[in-house]
Amino acid sequence: MDTNVTLSKKYNMIAFGLMAIGLLALAYGFFTTAGRTWANILLNNYYFLSLTMGASFFFCLQYITQSGWSAMFRRVPEAIMTYIPYAGVVMLLLFFGVQNIYHWAIHDASVNDAIIAHKSPYLNVPFFFIRILIIFAAWIILTRYLRKLSLEEDKIGGTQYLEKIEFWSKVFIFVLAITFSIGAFDWIMSIEVHWFSTIFAFKSFASAFYHGTALVALIVILLHERGYFPQLNESHLLDFSRYMFGLSIIWGYLYFAQFMLIWFSNLPEETIYYVKRWNNGWVVFFILNFAINWLIPFVLLLPQKLDKNIKVVKYIAILLLVGMWLEQYELVMPELTTTPHFGIVEIGGIVCFAGLFMFVIGRALIKAPLIPKNHPYIEESLYHHVH
Amino acid sequence: MSKPYFISVFDDEQKLLAGIKAAKDKNVKIDEIYTPYPMHEVIEAMGKKSRFTFAAFVYGFLAVISILSFLYYTSVIDWPINYGGKPTSAFPSFIIITLVLTIASITILSLFTFSIRAKIYPGKKYIMPDLRATDDKFIMVFEEENSGSKFEDLNKMLMDCGAEEVYKKEL
Repeated sequence: MDTNVTLSKKYNMIAFGLMAIGLLALAYGFFTTAGRTWANILLNNYYFLSLTMGASFFFCLQYITQSGWSAMFRRVPEAIMTYIPYAGVVMLLLFFGVQNIYHWAIHDASVNDAIIAHKSPYLNVPFFFIRILIIFAAWIILTRYLRKLSLEEDKIGGTQYLEKIEFWSKVFIFVLAITFSIGAFDWIMSIEVHWFSTIFAFKSFASAFYHGTALVALIVILLHERGYFPQLNESHLLDFSRYMFGLSIIWGYLYFAQFMLIWFSNLPEETIYYVKRWNNGWVVFFILNFAINWLIPFVLLLPQKLDKNIKVVKYIAILLLVGMWLEQYELVMPELTTTPHFGIVEIGGIVCFAGLFMFVIGRALIKAPLIPKNHPYIEESLYHHVH
Repeated sequence: MSKPYFISVFDDEQKLLAGIKAAKDKNVKIDEIYTPYPMHEVIEAMGKKSRFTFAAFVYGFLAVISILSFLYYTSVIDWPINYGGKPTSAFPSFIIITLVLTIASITILSLFTFSIRAKIYPGKKYIMPDLRATDDKFIMVFEEENSGSKFEDLNKMLMDCGAEEVYKKEL
């Protein structure tokens, strides 16, 4: 029951190796194409940040719904949550490259552009970073507190922690709804400063939740393969699959809703967003994105037999993580480069952040017993059975 | 019309499951089981497999194809209308109608499928072998002809499993 995860020596070496390779590639990128490199840093940071926020929302949801089945997996989203401060630091580092990514950050831009001038009370460099500070402060404080309560429950036990975490989860998702919307508007949508979409925040959030759940499922399955969650059975897998299946529909719905309304109303200032993503070779990503994030999971997770198959769930989770990267790539890059590039900078960006993410999650996982001890629903989770 | 049935009454789900197991071991055919709440074990023990989800999938698949072709026929072939310069074959705007109508078709067709399979129709008189199944008792029903067992044997077998009572009734 009280097994701690032990990481092999290789694990941290791989993580640091990936980080080193990535940093080298990014350094090379700074000397050759600085703009693209900054865009990649934003892209990958936002990618891992939204996975983190998705996983933290998953954690909160389990408490708010008082779910029994997932009680034993909660250390996994908890470990993912510890990545937030690192993402915050990288977001603040964007200060040095903000003019490479955001058109509105260039001082002269607002002089000749009425729209940017109109938006400048909100979209200006100091306020942008103040917002980052506030958002990350709120996230870090709340997630740390949730983690602290969860670890205290292991020592003391009783139902009061369940109620406490449930209450603070409600606070957290309320804060998350507002801050994540602001974040998505600021970090991603404002790259194309003339364009806006009111569904954008919700779409980004649904995507984060969807892929965050896939990440939790993937880590649980990887740990199971190494012998850590011996109690993981078909019912748990079915529940993970149901999450992914349901969220794939929500994701597809929101993605399509944004596209459909813009396509239908056909206003030039809105359609330009999709015109960019339809030409110069971007259309491949546009279609791939829809296929990977909606079509494949939807079709494969329809039959219940595949839902319960650990291999299928594992590969769909991996596919979704790729799919989310493609989605973010398609959100960020067409504004900054005219044609799609996939070179040493892109690979370096992914590799660097993946190494950091691996290291942070691994370090958090070994700190606490993998299976919580005094959770009131733990027995229900260990012998979970659905039909 | 009425046939003789053996009706056994249990007051505990574990005893009922034991009864089901005993009946299976002795090859006694169970006609029907009534429980106060849904029990997956009963569905599994009765060996009933639902193909309902597959039927729903087939309905959905057919619905999508027929609705899309209907929309294509009406707005492209039969009566093309120019909406603000859009192509007449406006596929994205077909999707919403398809989505909503597919859900409606699946729901309605599933309802009819269920009614036909379960032989339920409006105004049908429902025969409840023992009304206590709506309260807190678990009722297991055997048809005398099909069960292949005599009342005395059945009575003893079920009583051993913890049945409250076993009686004969014409339904």
